[in-house]
Amino acid sequence: MSTKTPAAPAQQQAQAAPRLPNPGSRKLFRAIEPYIWIAPSIILMAIFIVTPIVKVFQLSMNKVTRAGKLKGFNNFENFTSVIKDPAFAVVLKNTILWTIAVVVISTVLGFILALILNNEFKGRKIARAIVVFPWATTLVIQASAWKFIVNTDYGTLNALLKSLGIIDASVNWTPNPTAWFTWEIACGIFVTIPFVCFCVLSGLQSIDASYYEAATVDGAGYFQKLFKITLPLVKSSLTVSTVLNIIYVFNSFPIIWTMTKGDPANRTDTLVTYLYKLAFYNGKQGEASAVSVIGFLILLICASVYMVYTLRKGDEDL
Amino acid sequence: MEVVSWNDIYTVVNTRVSNNAAPDILNIDTFADYVGDDLLRPIKDFVSDETYAKFYPAFIEQSNIDGTIWAIPDLASARAMYYNKDILEASGVDKVPTTWAELKDACQKIKAANPDVYPWGVDMTTDEGQACFAYYSWNNGGDFTDASGNWTLNSAENVEAVEYIVGLVKDGLTNNDPATQTRYDLQELFATGKVAMMIGPNQISNYVAGKENPINFGIASIPANEGKETASVGVMDRFMVFDKDDTDDKVDAIKTFFDFFYEDTRYSEWVIMETFLPATSTGGEIMAAADPDAASWIDIVGSAKFYPTAKAEWADVKQGVINVEQQALLGGNVQELLDTLQSQIAG
Repeated sequence: MSTKTPAAPAQQQAQAAPRLPNPGSRKLFRAIEPYIWIAPSIILMAIFIVTPIVKVFQLSMNKVTRAGKLKGFNNFENFTSVIKDPAFAVVLKNTILWTIAVVVISTVLGFILALILNNEFKGRKIARAIVVFPWATTLVIQASAWKFIVNTDYGTLNALLKSLGIIDASVNWTPNPTAWFTWEIACGIFVTIPFVCFCVLSGLQSIDASYYEAATVDGAGYFQKLFKITLPLVKSSLTVSTVLNIIYVFNSFPIIWTMTKGDPANRTDTLVTYLYKLAFYNGKQGEASAVSVIGFLILLICASVYMVYTLRKGDEDL
Repeated sequence: MEVVSWNDIYTVVNTRVSNNAAPDILNIDTFADYVGDDLLRPIKDFVSDETYAKFYPAFIEQSNIDGTIWAIPDLASARAMYYNKDILEASGVDKVPTTWAELKDACQKIKAANPDVYPWGVDMTTDEGQACFAYYSWNNGGDFTDASGNWTLNSAENVEAVEYIVGLVKDGLTNNDPATQTRYDLQELFATGKVAMMIGPNQISNYVAGKENPINFGIASIPANEGKETASVGVMDRFMVFDKDDTDDKVDAIKTFFDFFYEDTRYSEWVIMETFLPATSTGGEIMAAADPDAASWIDIVGSAKFYPTAKAEWADVKQGVINVEQQALLGGNVQELLDTLQSQIAG
């Protein structure tokens, strides 16, 4: 959409420019022209990105009543009461575990899947299309399906195992919070793999086949080629997918909310589901905003580290 | 008029309030937070005496803060015990349980006769775990508050109540995952004969009857501890009016609206259509005459207890007791958990 918006003014400007009377105003126009072009994006970003961020920071520093009225600066009380709550430590630990487990495992599996799909074989197009499915389906539907699969009473996993004669009676696949959280991580991995797979696949396809031919002539084995040619050349794609995944997974809400709502007793909560409950179940919008700000800062640090790392690397290449 | 889904209504109302665009009349369940922010005007100003006289006095009292009535009820629902007659009979349970000991005994018999059936349904989820607390606390002579409105969350009755229901879960006499199975899940399990008994709202009757092979079920009072009186749990929604320095004309218009809304025939038809229970005694009489099945429910709702929603700490208490239940399921000590909650709430 944003690419279409400037198209119409572009024509008008092209016609208008030659009609400018003197070179001075033409110079002025040249000077401000770039800003006119980026103005729509800046305005959109200001409305949809900066305003909410400012608003959340404002809420986090204020005493907020349940009905949503701001009652003034309260000396970071929202932050201290959030951090003092024993549930917060549990939730923070879950969030880190959730992010690392989902990102690392889905990256490894997505990479392997991409290597497989990069080979020539019959039905490769269909296989690639199938890989997109989990990605193209809404997360709520995915999570509901997983919840249904592992359900003790009418779940398909028990039904399947029973019909195969592996088990006689229904097994409770979710006897404790750890089991629930493991299933949620499994679901998270399942829906994240396609994204990694396609990022890596695009990197793989841009590798010139002659590298491999040359390596083969020189007598390199499969793993030598994998680690000396493939990995270095898809590294940039992998870095992009990993960083984006860290942000997406860290902020992911639907899977956990649909499967357990963070229950029991915050054992499966992450920061995002926790702050949602704080805001809309406990009516503590100030504290919820504080949790949101903490999450924002954690991600900001991760993103900054990444940007410093990649920018420095760019300089070396020069 | 703006209709908002129940899931989003608090967000929508709060956004409107913080942008100084509060609605004139609001139909929702809670009201104490708005009173706390001085946003409402006493409801008596907006309701004609004739209409005001129709409400059950016990219902009106639920909207009383410091002697002022801030809202009027529009409908209510109440809870009772549903039981599967066929399962009870097949398991040799001759008498519908009325006490906790009888309930546990019945559960053990059902479990022995049908290992595949969950004898008792329990919902301790984030959605409605506070109802679970009320079912056992109120039927053990306990309560959230004492008669003068002080929080009594860690009373001996409440500790015993939570220990009783957590005990049933640990003995394997209930559904296997009360922290994530909502009452909708239980309702489905009950309707398909997987749960033998559960506590639920009056809408379950319709839900079960609408199934392809409806089970044979009965309705009874919620079992109470020995020597304690049974209490139902009532839930009500309310109308409230925001204070906007209204002109007399507008006040009259709102009065006319309420007179129209609560006109007996129109009101009872609406309540029946919504499968809820009426909040006016005149509406209740019409409904009882129309449907004898509803008559027993109207008796139950007339004697129902309600959550202390008029107290500002209620939202914290609600999430607090749910957390206590879930911690207790994970092995926490009920007395210590309730002590902690009590000190957090009452300071």
